[in-house]
Amino acid sequence: MRDGINIAKLGIPAVALVTDEFWPQGDFVAESLGMPDVPRVRLPHPVAGTGVKNMKKIAAEVAPAVIKALEAHNG
Amino acid sequence: MADLLTASDESAALEDLHTRGFTDGLPVIIPTPARVSRMVLASGLEADMVLGTMGPGHGIATIEKVAVAAVMAGCLPDYMPVVLAAVKAVIDPAFDLTEMQATTHCTAPLIIVNGPARHTCGPISSSYGALGPGHRANASIGRALRLTMINIGGGRPGTSDMALLGHPGKFTFCLAEDEENSPFPPMHVDLGFDPDDSVVTVIGAEAPHSVLYSGDGDDPNGYKSLLAMLAIGIANAATNNAILTGGSATIVLNPEHADVLIKAGLTRQDIAEEIHQRSTIAETAINKLAPGFARKDSGNRDAFKGPEQLLILMSGGSGLYSMVMPSWCAGPHKNSASSIKVESEFFCEVPGLANLVI
Repeated sequence: MRDGINIAKLGIPAVALVTDEFWPQGDFVAESLGMPDVPRVRLPHPVAGTGVKNMKKIAAEVAPAVIKALEAHNG
Repeated sequence: MADLLTASDESAALEDLHTRGFTDGLPVIIPTPARVSRMVLASGLEADMVLGTMGPGHGIATIEKVAVAAVMAGCLPDYMPVVLAAVKAVIDPAFDLTEMQATTHCTAPLIIVNGPARHTCGPISSSYGALGPGHRANASIGRALRLTMINIGGGRPGTSDMALLGHPGKFTFCLAEDEENSPFPPMHVDLGFDPDDSVVTVIGAEAPHSVLYSGDGDDPNGYKSLLAMLAIGIANAATNNAILTGGSATIVLNPEHADVLIKAGLTRQDIAEEIHQRSTIAETAINKLAPGFARKDSGNRDAFKGPEQLLILMSGGSGLYSMVMPSWCAGPHKNSASSIKVESEFFCEVPGLANLVI
């Protein structure tokens, strides 16, 4: 989350990927760093350690939302 | 009746309690007669009812004296049944309270709460940071037990409590099992209690040691690595469990790790057995590292007498870290775990009592 905000502050389009369990923490960090509306996409939890096949599946599922968020940022 | 002290105001009373060594070093709620009476009333029991004696000072634990500790710790009256059960659990001779309070080892009573009391006497957290700050019931229930150990049991650092350094859980050390989300039966059910019972289990425990395991969903045998890591955590060569052997230990699985093990087809008993089998150490290794504790026989030594010595529960947030707490493993009963049913049928629910400001 913090990475996404720091990159966004550099003027580089960024989307933070946040899992369900950490969504409230993402809100908190975004608020505390002064970017409450920083683009983020929700992932299921957990992702790490769930196997390559599952991670590819998750990536395929969220890719459109990531692209959409980036397009909105550019727009 | 407990002795009554007098002071000009609450600030003076607090300083007096600190000076007399009646606190844990942090500010306490002044246990005025009205506040203590309210706490006794909430218990539904007689003030002078004796629960037993607490070592090493062999002070007599009455309902009133426990209520004094509960008030000082900041407990709500709702918490009293759990506090009383925790006190009864450490008074159980198998818990070796006298020896445990006096040891140089760093051990503290970890309070594990199961059953409906997690909600009715709380809420007692079993989620993120359950052993950290921010959870009133967890914080004050554990603190109340500690204050009974100080003021009734007489455990004071450097004179009767000889812990070389202690650990932060000696201030407070209380959590609940996350029964609603756990894939296992509630721990108290596996210990032989009824599902509707509320049970407090107390075990002498070191501070939590983190066990890092990041699963690999592509490896069907990955769970074996987790089991091995947990065994290393509770019974590596530096622990009392490996050196003294025969004591209990606590394993607090986080939801992800519990999921890995349940998907491997393991029950709680299976997990305990698997970890027990992995909690061995070669006598040659002990002879090299700690020759004073080496045994004449060769081969491997088991850290535990059997899987029943492992308390396994699920609590905390979801992620990569589970926690293990090795134990002291000494005293006449090896400082065994003690489980006591919460006697909530005596609990006196007085409307508005919890919110009454005295």
